[in-house]
Amino acid sequence: MSEEPSSPPANTPDRAAGSVQAVYDRIADHFASTRAYAWPEVESFVTTIADNEGLGRALDLGCGNGRHTELLAEHGADAIGVDVSRGLLSTAATRQRDHGFAAGLVQGDAATLPFADATFDQIVYVATLHHLRPEATRRQSLAELGRLLRPGGLALVSAWSTAHDRFDAERSFDTTVEWTLPGGETVDRYYHIYDPDAFRAALNASDTIEPLVVAVSSGNCYAIVTTTDGDATPDWPVESVL
Amino acid sequence: MKESLMDILCCPVDKHDLELTVDTKDDEEIIEGTLTCTECGEAYPIEDGIPNLLPPDMRDEAAA
Repeated sequence: MSEEPSSPPANTPDRAAGSVQAVYDRIADHFASTRAYAWPEVESFVTTIADNEGLGRALDLGCGNGRHTELLAEHGADAIGVDVSRGLLSTAATRQRDHGFAAGLVQGDAATLPFADATFDQIVYVATLHHLRPEATRRQSLAELGRLLRPGGLALVSAWSTAHDRFDAERSFDTTVEWTLPGGETVDRYYHIYDPDAFRAALNASDTIEPLVVAVSSGNCYAIVTTTDGDATPDWPVESVL
Repeated sequence: MKESLMDILCCPVDKHDLELTVDTKDDEEIIEGTLTCTECGEAYPIEDGIPNLLPPDMRDEAAA
């Protein structure tokens, strides 16, 4: 793995989420079939809240095939899944029919979200932020996260980290990672790989959110964040979740 | 989509309220229709039960 940022292919649109949209539309069915189960960190976040104050209206931002939307719904949340890719949303709708859980599905952009202020009690925002570019778009998306949370609401944020075994870089960098379809064809996906300090700095730089705990787990940077205008923190130890 | 979703949805661009027009419905589920921003007038389609609320400049970028 090179430490140098790779240059985007010549035909990639400038608006990066657009290319993420096209890529995931292309690989949706195969991708969804390989992402059956919830991540343990997300499960821990969701079940801890469910066991304490209980889940309210919850957003799965970058829901993909809906595995975490399902997790939220089955723990009592009024769950909404959002994704940029119509192909992935179709796999989420199929999963919803097959598994029989109730959730709203919406096609939207993680940096320009179609929800009113302070709508959600919880937000799960995993493995999505790292697909956005440039940095201004990632910053805008984190600002949207705080706008959508009700005061004192909680969000779980994750992004791929330089701490993952496959990388040898110590500083954040941009790269593309191939997805191989069953026929052998490969499709490049853009990633901004965060070093843990830069991830923490990006969260601290946002006016609308405040990180309560930041950690590295399973090669990803994770954080639990709340709003800057909330005055109550959870009465359970947030660090125990990650 | 369920009509109750209207309580929380807004225009992605200016965050104003949306107005719902239903073309096809199946029980409580709106299958086809349009969401129109009450401020800027932008129209967002509901297709196969899922509203497409991408900002207009990203709406036509889906893969062929």
